[in-house]
Amino acid sequence: MITLRALTKRFGDVTAVDDLTVDIRPGQVTGFLGPNGAGKSTTMRMVLGLDRPTAGQALVNGRDYRTLRHPLHEVGALLDATGVHPARSGVAHLRAMARSNGVPARRVTEVLDLVGLDARAAGKPGRALSLGMGQRLGIAGALLGDPPVLLLDEPVNGLDPDGVRWIRGFTRRLADEGRTVLVSSHLMSEMQQTADRVVVLGRGRLVADAPLAELIAARPAASVRVRGPEPAALAALGDRLAAEGATVTAADGGMAVAGSTAGRVGDLAYEMGVRLHELTPVAPSLEEAFLELTADSVEYAAGPTGGDTR
Amino acid sequence: MTAQSTLDPARRTTRPAPAGHPLAGAVAAEWTKLWSVRSTWWTLLAAVLTMTATSVQLAIYARNGNTDDDPANDSGVVDVGEIVAGSLELTQYVVLALGLFAITSEFATGTIRTTLRCTPSRGRVLAAKASVVGAVTFGLGLLLGTVGAVVARPVLGEWGRAPLGGTVADVVACAAYLALVGVLALGLAAALRGAVLTLTVLFALLMIVPLSLQEPDITVLTRIADAFPGVAGNHFLAGDTEPYPAAAGLLLLAAWTATALALGRWALARRDA
Repeated sequence: MITLRALTKRFGDVTAVDDLTVDIRPGQVTGFLGPNGAGKSTTMRMVLGLDRPTAGQALVNGRDYRTLRHPLHEVGALLDATGVHPARSGVAHLRAMARSNGVPARRVTEVLDLVGLDARAAGKPGRALSLGMGQRLGIAGALLGDPPVLLLDEPVNGLDPDGVRWIRGFTRRLADEGRTVLVSSHLMSEMQQTADRVVVLGRGRLVADAPLAELIAARPAASVRVRGPEPAALAALGDRLAAEGATVTAADGGMAVAGSTAGRVGDLAYEMGVRLHELTPVAPSLEEAFLELTADSVEYAAGPTGGDTR
Repeated sequence: MTAQSTLDPARRTTRPAPAGHPLAGAVAAEWTKLWSVRSTWWTLLAAVLTMTATSVQLAIYARNGNTDDDPANDSGVVDVGEIVAGSLELTQYVVLALGLFAITSEFATGTIRTTLRCTPSRGRVLAAKASVVGAVTFGLGLLLGTVGAVVARPVLGEWGRAPLGGTVADVVACAAYLALVGVLALGLAAALRGAVLTLTVLFALLMIVPLSLQEPDITVLTRIADAFPGVAGNHFLAGDTEPYPAAAGLLLLAAWTATALALGRWALARRDA
């Protein structure tokens, strides 16, 4: 359980996190969403006691992180930078972490196994690790103390498709084991695959805190994309659909039909003898729902790549 | 692999509180970190080489001073301990690097965030680092003192002496001096964060400022210089009775170290990582 109460962080004139009050509950994957610069990483750093809140509180299982004696047993975290010294091997890095919190040495081997790093990869110095291996090593570190709470900052960054799939399954499993799992991402599509609940930030403020299903339900209505080789016939089909109450709009080389179903459009086309080349149900993505939510709060246009700074 | 549980099999049913005091864990972690980077070993090697070269050089100076035609530079028969203490003036900067890098490398690489996540108490982190740096620089000091004495003695020949008791005491004093300046460097580095800045300030504190104060030979300025850590350390190493007893020199140096640690702790607690 992570409890944020009126959490606020200002850097000079910039308010990075603004009066954030949220509970992150156990047993589910909570997606922590927002464009780059929305304050996700800063919030996570405050939960981990790295940044001091300007006001408010960030508590883990009811306690301030800075007061924890063996924090790795309470909270595991993967930060955007995995925090391995360039000259130190991954295994030595984990061993040092384990010793600091009284974690037995055999657990190091266990977590390396869990994340699929072999001895050769784990023996490499930090500078020789690929981004993907670094992420896996970071997750191994997060699991060392078998903590009930996990914070993963942009865990899919730099992973190949295999790695991405692995992370999805992994976060799911962690939550199913009853842990509190908070996963940040600036990619909404990622959350659509994994999150049970989403907390959306924009300019440091809470934009949404809802079950994923609810957010999807609130998104723009689904539509059907229709294309065919005969524009006139297609227009006639469009008129019939409109007469039935559907909303028909022209869309590149065809039309988009809202308020109907692919089945109905197909049946009607068959009935009218209209040749179709495409009939595609289009479910608006969480991406679109998200963009709508944060439209007013985007600090700078989110590019396709890049994590938060710092 | 995908079906494997992420839970620690040993603790799947119960979650006993981890054993051990967190400070002991933090010390063990710092120890592991120190010896798992190659630069530590290079630093040790550099310290031994510097010590060897400087001790030989100082021993040659002492012998030449006694054998040349100029009676003004005759130092007579010297204790090897004197040569060893003199050699530290240069060698200490190599040893300081150990204290310095124990934390500046973490700031530079971002690993300080891992350290603080493992040990959130800033005071505990610094205490652990100080214990490890202090122990290692003390041990290194014993080694360097011994190396210095062993190489200086034959070079001095008839102009040197190495009474066992006195030499051992001198070697231990060297170790204590190096441990204190090593931890002083650590504390300062925790406050200043950057290696270059810290080294510059250390140079100023240990050498440049007191040297400039002593240069004009004005009593007031020399007395001020006597309060600086390097000068205090030298009075301690030389076993002086003036301007204060050797033990006071040691205490004064220790006070500088304690102040630097307090400063470092304050800065660590105050700043975002």
